[in-house]
Amino acid sequence: MSRRYRVAHTTSYRYGASMTDGYTVACLVPRPTDHQRVHESTVTLDPQPSEADSYLDAFGNLVHQFGLHEMHRALTITAVSVVDLDEQERPVDDTAWEDVVAQLDAMTGPLAVDAGFFRATSTFVDLTDLGVALRSIAERSFTAGRGIVDAAEALCLDIFGSFQFDAGFSDLSTPLTRVLAARRGVCQDFAHLAVGCLRSIGLAARYVSGYIETAPPPGQPRLVGADASHAWCSVWTPLAGWVDFDPTNGHLPVNRHVTVAWGRDYADVTPVRGVMIGPPTAQHLDVAVDVEPL
Amino acid sequence: MSAGAPLQPHGALRAALLDPERRADRQARADRLLEADGAGHLVHDLPVRSDGRAAAIESRPWRVDPMPIVLDAATYRWLSLAVAERMEALEAVVADLYGDRTLVHDRTVPAEALAATDRYRINAVGARPTRWLSTYAVDVALTADGVWSIVQDLTDAPPGIGYALLDRSVMSRVVPDVMASTEIASIARYTGSMRRALAAATSVDSPRIVLFSGGLDHPSYIDHSYLAVQLGVHLVEGADLVVRQRRVWLRTLDGLEPVDVLYRRLEDPTVDPLEIAAHGSVGVPGLLQAVRAGGVALANAHGAGVLEAPDVTPFVEAAIARLRPMEQSLPRLADPGTPLATVPVAPEAGAGGHGEAPVVLRLFAVSDGSSVSVLPGGTGRVLAPGDDPRRPTACIAKDVWVLGRTLAPTFGPRLPQVDFGRSLPTRAADALYWTNRSAERAEAMARAARVVASRIEQDPGLAALHGGGWAHRMIGLVHAVGRTTDHDHLVGSDGEDPSAVLAADLAGLGRLVAGEIGALLTEATTVREYLSVTTGRVLAHLAELRAGLARGRVGVDDLDAVLADFAAFAGLWHESIVRGPAWRIGDTGRRLERALVVIDLVESTLLTARGAPADDAQREVDAAAIEVLLAANESLVAYRRRHRSDVEADAAIALVIHDDSNPRSLVTAVERLRRHAEEGAWGVGVDLADEALATLSLPLHELLPAARAVIDRFGHAVVERWFSSPVSPILMRPTDEQAGASA
Repeated sequence: MSRRYRVAHTTSYRYGASMTDGYTVACLVPRPTDHQRVHESTVTLDPQPSEADSYLDAFGNLVHQFGLHEMHRALTITAVSVVDLDEQERPVDDTAWEDVVAQLDAMTGPLAVDAGFFRATSTFVDLTDLGVALRSIAERSFTAGRGIVDAAEALCLDIFGSFQFDAGFSDLSTPLTRVLAARRGVCQDFAHLAVGCLRSIGLAARYVSGYIETAPPPGQPRLVGADASHAWCSVWTPLAGWVDFDPTNGHLPVNRHVTVAWGRDYADVTPVRGVMIGPPTAQHLDVAVDVEPL
Repeated sequence: MSAGAPLQPHGALRAALLDPERRADRQARADRLLEADGAGHLVHDLPVRSDGRAAAIESRPWRVDPMPIVLDAATYRWLSLAVAERMEALEAVVADLYGDRTLVHDRTVPAEALAATDRYRINAVGARPTRWLSTYAVDVALTADGVWSIVQDLTDAPPGIGYALLDRSVMSRVVPDVMASTEIASIARYTGSMRRALAAATSVDSPRIVLFSGGLDHPSYIDHSYLAVQLGVHLVEGADLVVRQRRVWLRTLDGLEPVDVLYRRLEDPTVDPLEIAAHGSVGVPGLLQAVRAGGVALANAHGAGVLEAPDVTPFVEAAIARLRPMEQSLPRLADPGTPLATVPVAPEAGAGGHGEAPVVLRLFAVSDGSSVSVLPGGTGRVLAPGDDPRRPTACIAKDVWVLGRTLAPTFGPRLPQVDFGRSLPTRAADALYWTNRSAERAEAMARAARVVASRIEQDPGLAALHGGGWAHRMIGLVHAVGRTTDHDHLVGSDGEDPSAVLAADLAGLGRLVAGEIGALLTEATTVREYLSVTTGRVLAHLAELRAGLARGRVGVDDLDAVLADFAAFAGLWHESIVRGPAWRIGDTGRRLERALVVIDLVESTLLTARGAPADDAQREVDAAAIEVLLAANESLVAYRRRHRSDVEADAAIALVIHDDSNPRSLVTAVERLRRHAEEGAWGVGVDLADEALATLSLPLHELLPAARAVIDRFGHAVVERWFSSPVSPILMRPTDEQAGASA
């Protein structure tokens, strides 16, 4: 069986002065996967962009790029997509995790790129300084000889249980060090944390950006625009392929998750980034996400 | 040293170069020559640019040791072959890492190593540029036991070729006799090879090439600017370029002009602030989108710097061996501490005082796709004790001489002739405009200070004339021409002894001149390619004098020396710049500032006098002040030739304001502004100039403020019309919105 969702994601910038030029890169369109079909998707800019372009990045994510070469004091990027999600069973792969590491170490051919590229230190996942701390967390779940999926699920539940979700705690500049020390954070922190734990013991792990269907509080109507973008983690297994899990919510498999893009970490898949040309001024950002079951 | 010592001259050449009698002179001459080209201290210690941005210069001054490194023809031939082969092998390695990635598939280069570095550019994966490496530099060293080894490959934006050319030009003037009597390979044809290689980076016929620099703040800026002149291409910064419709355009005074090849001297992660893992704000937003669409080519291609990443370098030799198994000639220097062959160095730089130090050679190569050209020369970089050979700290360069003549010249396709006189980047126009405004203002300040100082010198009683009346008038003039009410620089005149105040104010004016010279040098440094070599010498000399002025040295002789430099600068500007947009915009700045200077001078010396009761003493002060006005305006001689009488206010005003045969009069300045506006087909400018001319028929007390107001508007209109564009880009805050989602 499958579920159909309509996802709308609106990002609005308002500036304190007029900008003469603006360039925007958006990574907002869900990509097709084994469990996900994308029926329609649009990304629009208001005001109307002077030029627009789109391409697939090195990870296969769809990226839109806009140029707005007229005076503007506000900019809104709207992405709307309709996707079908298949219900996933819990993936099965009992390969001992140490064997997975050994396979990765010896891997040749295209997979050496596709998996090997997700085993290293990266902008938001610093293994050089945090490797030891991350490894000690990972080893609580990755005990000797444990099956890869079982162990990943244990890590997912460990993070879910021992770190507190705190919407106000972190922003993009919060390093993983502080998340580790305070044992709290938001979904992108927990995704980075899980990615870091897996890479610290030699596994291949991707950062996944997307959306999750959120249920309204019991008895209350669903609020439009109250959702948020989301992030989780994916680990490579030899038999079940890439297995997604969501440490923010303790989910494996992920069944209410719309996948947009994946990369080494947030830096590769930032939903909206840009540069504008104009006088230095204040800017204000509003984001509204709506995941509507159809 | 035995006759067989490598890297060193032998026989007569050695004797000529090591001549202890001449060594100190040669070093001093080399230092002076480098300084004239801005490579010494010139760009250091500069305050702020005209737009208020501080110029942070990280580059350190370096020196050329007049004792070159000498390679015999056989050694060079063997080395250049190895360098050429290595460049082609590295081209193949980079192409593979971004293309088929067979090296990653078989783990010769682990994917993990690529993933861990921002030098492996995600955006370049799958790209198919015409070439990855159009230019290449490699540091090599000869170990003490005689093995030539690779120290490091420079594949991103290989630095130093401009310095290598500059070093050679310095050497040719420091030891011309030695060079004339020795067969040394010429490096003159290398710039032609570079142009061909850069043109070959695109499939466009007759491509338009610019040198893409990080601007004055980039540590290699002098390297860039010297090279741009040698190549005959525009030196551009991020703010000069804009991406539209998947192409890159150069902002010029005539509008946007397309660019086909960017000779990239900015490091990979800084070229486009929109990209993943970009940093800095010197790049061009959207540049890599244009590259992806084929609208512009980068040389070297985006991503080529991956071979410099410390994560990746350990695998490079294996990658070469795998792709080009038979051709590797030089081993990599395994241990940075390996003892290296030493060469004689300048006594003051000698490691531990024994006059010999190890050295690393940087060799340069370019490829146009069909063949590699290696510079028959290079740069030797002297190592200080304990230096990592990749990062010498001694800041001493040695020219590299290859013995024997070079081969016959090679001929390539003709490139489009870009006429610097016709096409002028907006930023360069802006800098030329402010260079000239600063020069004119600084000159006026220095002249005013000089006139006042010399009057006091000739007649110390003047300061007390009419109860300090003259001194007060002069204080007003010093303040007016210094255009300041800033009491850090100039002292107020309330209640103190006027002659002491005047002396202090003169010193303050000296410091203001120093500040203005700083602004002039900063602006001029960014447009060196428009100024003659001789102008460089004048600027270097001004930089020296500036230090004295800043310390309050404002004697007549000090100021005369400064004025001579300004006269030389103005004369060179006038006589050595083609009459095109560059000259027009610079001269517009000069005339505009001159008009304001005349108004300042007249206002402070004459307007204050009028209306005051005219007793004898007052008249004496007036006469003395008018003389100073005329002298400060350089019109006193003209006045004396025309009027045999003592100076009189009305005649003086006629001369400095209304006389269109006086090159320093207000009317001449405004008429020149009008002509420049007309030639630039700039209607607003013509109208404003006409408006300014109309004010000249008003009575003096109305004329001065009215003319000033219109000329100020003219200045604003120049900025708005010609330079309005590039404000620094602002990075958009990434959406930090992922705070949601517990299901």
